[in-house]
Formats: sequence, structure tokens, C-alpha cells
Amino acid sequence: MSLLEIKNVSKIYGELKALDNVSIHVDQGEWVAIMGPSGSGKSTMMNIIGCMDKPTMGEVLLDGVDISKESSKKLTEIRRDKIGLIFQQFHMVNYLTAVENIMVSQYYHSLPDEKEALDALERVGLRERAHHLPSQLSGGEQQRVCVARALINHPELILADEPTGNLDEANENIVLDLFAQLHREGTTLIVVTHDPEVADAAQRTIVLEHGRVAREVINENFQD
Amino acid sequence: MSKRKMFLRMITASLLRRRSRMLIALLSIAVGATILAGLVTIYYDVPRQMSAQFRNYGANMILLPEGDSQMARSEVDKALALIPEGALVGATPYRYVRLDMVSRQLSFTSAGTDFEQVQKTSPYFHINGRYPEGEREVMLGKEIADQLGMKLGRTMELTYQPGDTAADEDPSGDWVPGAVLSGSAEGWQNAMVYVTAELDGDAKIAALTVDASLQTEEFGGRTATDEAFLNQFIGKSLPLQEGDVDALSGATVTSGAIVRSLNTARRATGATESRRTFSVVGILETGGEEEQYIYMSLPELEALTGESGRLDVMELSVQAEDTETLQGYADTLSQGSDSLRARLVKRVTRSETTVLGKLQSLVFLVTAVVLLLTMISVSTTMMAVVTERRREIGLRKALGASDSSIRVEFLGEGMFLGLLGGILGALLGFAFAQVVSVNVFGSSITFQWLLLPVTVIVCMAIAAVSCLMPIKKAVEIDPALVLKGE
Repeated sequence: MSLLEIKNVSKIYGELKALDNVSIHVDQGEWVAIMGPSGSGKSTMMNIIGCMDKPTMGEVLLDGVDISKESSKKLTEIRRDKIGLIFQQFHMVNYLTAVENIMVSQYYHSLPDEKEALDALERVGLRERAHHLPSQLSGGEQQRVCVARALINHPELILADEPTGNLDEANENIVLDLFAQLHREGTTLIVVTHDPEVADAAQRTIVLEHGRVAREVINENFQD
Repeated sequence: MSKRKMFLRMITASLLRRRSRMLIALLSIAVGATILAGLVTIYYDVPRQMSAQFRNYGANMILLPEGDSQMARSEVDKALALIPEGALVGATPYRYVRLDMVSRQLSFTSAGTDFEQVQKTSPYFHINGRYPEGEREVMLGKEIADQLGMKLGRTMELTYQPGDTAADEDPSGDWVPGAVLSGSAEGWQNAMVYVTAELDGDAKIAALTVDASLQTEEFGGRTATDEAFLNQFIGKSLPLQEGDVDALSGATVTSGAIVRSLNTARRATGATESRRTFSVVGILETGGEEEQYIYMSLPELEALTGESGRLDVMELSVQAEDTETLQGYADTLSQGSDSLRARLVKRVTRSETTVLGKLQSLVFLVTAVVLLLTMISVSTTMMAVVTERRREIGLRKALGASDSSIRVEFLGEGMFLGLLGGILGALLGFAFAQVVSVNVFGSSITFQWLLLPVTVIVCMAIAAVSCLMPIKKAVEIDPALVLKGE
């Protein structure tokens, strides 16, 4: 069953077609990588899926709801309820501790629960770093906190934009392992990347070029 | 954990862990609050202070008898009890009586009063010498002192005569044995010379006192003290003939005047008169009509006149917030007694109100300007804060924060700053007002507890208004733009 269905979507900025009649679908529980060089439309795709932007044309069905025509207020609600976001730059509130950063996500979603937030940190192996400020954490640790924050509200979809772009190999592997774990638990993952190794970890890779889907590759070696 | 608790946790973390930026905003609010609280304190305290200050310009209320007679002291005391405790700063009784200075054939209005109270109701009195303290001491108005040529330390005899004594054209009838005579004549350059002589049983001069203080001191003035000269008069009968007395060398004009004044001298004593000799211990300078009186203590005057317990005027210095309150006291006093009426001294009370009105509008203006500057400063700082936190705001939005959550969070931070700044400012402002009060008015003020909530509320409101523009900017932030990877 499709969790995300993008049909004939175009995004046009003046003369530039950032996305040109793109159609893709992602099934529930699937781990998909979206790859492509810079300027291929990756970021635009990420923003549209993440309910932070709307397509100029076409339909985007998320969990059966067409989000291409919704108001920005409604989009905020959908993003809050269904999507967990992970960014290349990590993006933590710099004056809040690791656990507090996770609780911010809970705060906007429903109710902050420190214990649950600590459990999430436990899961990414940072229970003992819970009360450190972002400046006291390494890049890898920060990104793991962000993974914990993305999954705290049990989203339908985790959307990661170059999640390992700023990490060394060891930390990259830790994050990918976490993704694999989430995948095994049934979470749908969309990872936008230009790194083939990261893309290879996914079940399927959609390659974008010049705003179009150039090809789709099924990862034969994918192991659950 | 409740949402509110998390909200507070985020706000306090933002303020405590991002100190430098927030300190600037806090400082601007605190400075504004300090001036606000300080000026408001002064604004409310100044009327009290000014009121006390204006007391320095004299009594602001007087009690007068209803009708022509005097007031009874007991009646006055009863009336004064109607003024609230503490409001009555001073109450000075005055009894005015005409006293004669027989030796000079002059009479003056003499005021019996309470000098301790005078210092409270007329603190502007400028005294050469001192206020009378002991018995037989007087203070002269400057006009009188100049007229008499009186200096500190001199003595003068004052006589109280209840009625007029008939004056005969021919003084010789008064030259009877045992009489005390007094007379005067023009001496050097038309200045008067005064004499008092006592006659013995044979109507011959037994004692002579000369008052030549208006004459040139080193010439005519010596006639008063030159014993050889004065002794010539003893044993002589009146009128004096030419050759009876040799003129004092260098003082011939004065000597002649003494002879003439003795020949025209009249009996100075009356049947019911009473007299006393006083020493001059003070000379009063005010530039006003107060200089035309001779002042002595009320008991002293009453001893002279032989009647007590009666007053002509009571000057009051009453402390009141405004003219209405003061008028209220005056009305109470007037209604409380049939024989008295109280009146405000208009000049003082009116200027008091005018000055206060002007001062308060000035304070209001300064406060408004300061609050406006505070608002601009806080707004600028918050604007910088929003710019600095664009990513964070974008992140919060990406995590699902609605526009209203963003508004509430920034408003919360702003108002929390207002709260802290307000408390800090209220305390500093009180200290500021205290310093001003002590330096300008010379008195301290008490802390008004109401000032704390008022300052805090005003500061929070100002912080909230200052945050409106920055919040608008924060809400407009597009998360997709600010969160994009480099």
C-alpha cells in the first residue's frame, strides 16, 4: 500500500523547472533513497514531501490525503503528525539540552514526556549525554539526537535530507544502522542523498536528473 | 510534563543560557523601569516633599477671632485638637499690645509669642543675635531698631498703660517731689536726645539717665556716660537756668538738648502703668511688616499687661497633600468653634499647587519619553534576537510549531524579560528616588509596595508591544529556506 504517491508533479520557479512532471510512489514501510547531483531537484522534492513547499502542478498524496492544495497551516499539522525530519546540519535548539530538544518535538506534537524522550536517547545510545547542550556534543552525537527527535512522535514517515553529509564514516554507519533498525520496525524512510553508499543502504533508489526521474534502482543486496 | 512547564523550561533556558543577548534586552528594560519607578516614586512623593518644603515659606493657615475681641487660649487649644495628629507642624500664638517707650515718647506694637513655635511657622525669619530665651529679653523688628538706634545688648524700658494720661501744656506742674520725668529734644543734626530724671523730696534732680544713642558716638554720645558731666545735674531744680550746667566739650549741641529736654520733661509715671526694662538680644530682618514689632515671650507680655489667656492670632503650619485637604481642615476648625475662624494663607497654598502641577506634567513627559526609548531599544534587541535565531525558528516550525506557538513563545520571552526588568527596575528606581529625595529634599522616602506590581505590569506591557514587530518577522520565516543544507 502506498504511503506517498506523487503524480505528475512540477515545480516551476520563473523559467526554471526544478521538478518536471515527476511521478513516484513510496510504499508503507519502504526505505527509499532519492539521489541526484545538485540542481537535480532533490531539495525541492524533499520540501514538497516534507510539507514545507507546494508543487506548481500535480498531486501529492500522503497517507491518502492530497497535500498539494492544503493551506500552510494544514501542512504544518500534517508535518507535525506524520513526518519526522532529519537535516544535514542537524539543527538543534542550541540552548536546550539533548533531551530537551527531543521534548520540543513532543511539545508541538502533543505533550512533553521526559521519560519517553530519555528512552529515545537510550535507543540511539546517548542516554548518558541527555543533559548536554548541542555545543557539548560531537556532530555524530548531534545527528543521533536528531534521529531520536525524528522518531519520538512515531511518525508515518521519516524524511532525512543528507543525514550523513556532515558525518565521518563511523558516525555515518551508526546512523545508517539506526535507519535499518527503524526500517525493521516498519517505519517508512525517505533519505535524500548524493552519496551512493547511503543510497545503497536503502531498498530502492530513485535517481533524479534535471528535475526528472532518470531511473529507479532496486537494491538486490538489501538485507533486512 | 505539562505543556506549560515545558514552555517555561524553554523560555528560562533561552534567557539563562543565551545570557549576553538577553542581558542587553534585560538591561534596557531595567533602565527604563528604573527611571519609570524612580520618577513615579518622586511624582507621588514630591507633593508630600514639596508640601513640607512650602512649610518653610511660613504658616499656611491662620486662626482669627470671630469679631473684634481676642480669642481665648483654651478655645484655640480645643480647636487645634481637631487637626489630625502629625499634620500640625507648628502653631504660633500672637498677642499684640501697644507698649510705650516713655523715655522717647514713642509707642510700638509689641507681640507676645512662643519663639519655639515661631521657628516652625516662620522658618524664614532672619535673626541678628538670637531669639529671646530668658526673662526680660526682647527681639526688635529691624525698622524699630533702626529708628531707636538700638544695638544688640542695649536695654530699653517698656511701659504698658491701659489708658491715656492727660498731658498738661505746662510741664512745671509735673515737677513735683518724687516724680520721675522724661523728655526729649533735638540734638546734633536734628537727632533726638532722651532723658529720664528722678526728683527727690525737694523736687531736685536725684538721678539722671541720658539716652544719646542717636548722637555721634564719640561726641554727643559721650554725654550719656560722662559722669562728671552728668553729676552737674544732681541737686539742681527745674527748670534749669543758664550757667547751671557746663556743656561737655565737643558735645555742646547735645548738652544743650539735654537741658532743654529736662525743662520740658513731664512726669512719666501713671497710676496703673507697669514697666520693665528689657535687653535687646535679637533683631529681626524679614523685609516685611514683621520688622515693625517688638517681640517678647507671651508670658513676659502677659506679666506686663496683667491679663493672660487671650490671643489675637494663631499662625498654623499644617501639612496637607493638597489645597482641598487644607481647606477641609480650615472648615473643620471654623465649624468647631463659634468664636474662631480659620483662613488659609492664599499666597503660599496657591503657589504650591501651581508648582506641583508643572512639576508633575514634566515628570509625566520624561516618563513617556523614557518608556518610548525603552520600547525602541527592546524592539531593536528582539529584532536582532529573531534574526539570530532564524534557524531555530525555522526548526521549530519544521517540528510542527504553528504560527501562534511561535508568537506565544517570543511574547513569553519578552514578557519574562519585562517581569525581571520590572522587578529590578522597581528596586533600582526606588534607590534612585531615594538618592534624589535625600539630595534635593533632604529627606528619605518609604517604599511604596504598589510600585512593584505597577512597574512590573508596565514593563511587561512594554516588552509585549516591543515584541510585536520582531514576532511578525519570526512568523514569516520559511523553514524550507533557513534549514536548507549548505
